Amino acid sequence: MIRLHNLNFKYRGATDFALADMNLEIGEGEFVGVIGSSGAGKTTLTYALNGVVPHYYGGDFYGRAEVNGLDTIEAGPAKLSEIVGSVFQDIDGQMVASIVEDELLFGLENFGVPRKEIGERLAMALETLGISDLRDRAIATLSGGQKQKVAIAAIVALKPRVLVLDEPTGELDPKSSVQVFEMLKKLNEDFGMTVVVVEQKIMLLCEYVRRLIVMGGGRALLDGTVRDVLQNAEALGAAGVSVPRVTSLAVELKRRGLYAGSYPASVPEAERMVREVLA
Amino acid sequence: MIEFQNASFNYAGEQAVRDVSFRLEKGEFAAVIGENGAGKTTVAKLCNGLLKPTAGTVCVNGMDTRTTRASRIARSVGILFQNPDMQICQNTIREEILFGLQYTMDDPAERARRCDEVLCEFGFDGGRNPFSTSRGERQRIALASLMACRPEVLILDEPTTGLDYRECMEVMEKIRLSNERGATVMMVSHDMEIVQDFARRVLVVADGELIGDGPTGEIMTDVELLSRASVAPAQIPALALRFGDMFPGVFTVRQMADAIERRL
Repeated sequence: MIRLHNLNFKYRGATDFALADMNLEIGEGEFVGVIGSSGAGKTTLTYALNGVVPHYYGGDFYGRAEVNGLDTIEAGPAKLSEIVGSVFQDIDGQMVASIVEDELLFGLENFGVPRKEIGERLAMALETLGISDLRDRAIATLSGGQKQKVAIAAIVALKPRVLVLDEPTGELDPKSSVQVFEMLKKLNEDFGMTVVVVEQKIMLLCEYVRRLIVMGGGRALLDGTVRDVLQNAEALGAAGVSVPRVTSLAVELKRRGLYAGSYPASVPEAERMVREVLA
Repeated sequence: MIEFQNASFNYAGEQAVRDVSFRLEKGEFAAVIGENGAGKTTVAKLCNGLLKPTAGTVCVNGMDTRTTRASRIARSVGILFQNPDMQICQNTIREEILFGLQYTMDDPAERARRCDEVLCEFGFDGGRNPFSTSRGERQRIALASLMACRPEVLILDEPTTGLDYRECMEVMEKIRLSNERGATVMMVSHDMEIVQDFARRVLVVADGELIGDGPTGEIMTDVELLSRASVAPAQIPALALRFGDMFPGVFTVRQMADAIERRL
């Protein structure tokens, strides 16, 4: 579904490459998390997938990026938007309407969705995000978290095959963050949508995604299942990425010579580790 | 010092904060937690007079926010908004830091000296346009501008939102340092790990009401209270709970490791 081959990109006027020899293959139906420190190239990666780079943000672009067999240079953002739905980091920059319903209608109407289908899609998207009660609300009166959900709902209504999200839970509380990831899981499992999500909350990624990519210096430093990536706790630290507290506990127990097993990613796994240590 | 006495606030008829009372002493470091829309940001804005209580009173450093101009309160109470772009208004980082200082320091030479100190402390290039920097950098610029004025009270609304782990730790260490120098800190946060690592007291807000107030360890291990506020406990307290009474009051990695080691 997504293939990046030796992709390099440098923003106009920048001195360093934001993406440097990036190679990546993501199959249809994968649920992939991307993490890394600021400047690692995460947002540029999302731009490369939806054609914003290099069509909107110009610069030096070498290599090849393909989405669903389309070369992103040839296809351009408009064509790619039929396949890739994007939720940007700055949701205020994404909103175009003043009422929630209008925000969702904007995309549906511009995509030429048949009139009889629009109502159903609108209701589905609002319900999936749990915001049906916000349908008639003015966007200006919503909290940051509510606005984030509206931005995602507007994209979900378009039923893209690939969903690319840049820090979608940035302004959400833990409960709402979990709701968003539950929704992404549902879109991935029930609708077969390929999901690529950039996220700083490592614990959410550990719980939901099946593949984790750690970026640094414009390339993938680590790429594998969550469990495999967490075994490199020291490398994660060096990349400026936090590890879950239960993983830190394992690191501390290992330092004290009390534990020699694998690193846990979740509380249930940590419970097994502690019982093993105490046995 | 911050004191809420039965304070309430309505946004156009909608009650955002209801009958809240608490007192924060000088030098405390308190976190305000709760789900989106619980009223946390309203509590923060009531502290510096940006919002005036529609019932009850809010006093900060002895000033009643209903009768004191917000500009007067701002001389000793600094606020960091959730979105730094709501705060930054100058074309260079130096001008941004000097902007706040012109209202709190009279001597231009002294202002310039303080500005240089802060630029050095945060490692900024003063001539750079703040809007050409990353979100994390802009958050640090907003914080630097605030700290340059050395406010007695720091109100921080989600200071680590959008920051990566490294930036997050940098920002929090600056806040910790400011608290150690005597500033009273009230921080709104969704990040339970940050709360448990830095705050010594936690206020729990739900539906505009204060439903919990106590030492961090006590609140972070009170699952029933956190559940009422729709807040999930952080990983280590959640892990400790799986062992019943075996690890009472444990909520940090080191405490957990120590407790496990003691049981061996």
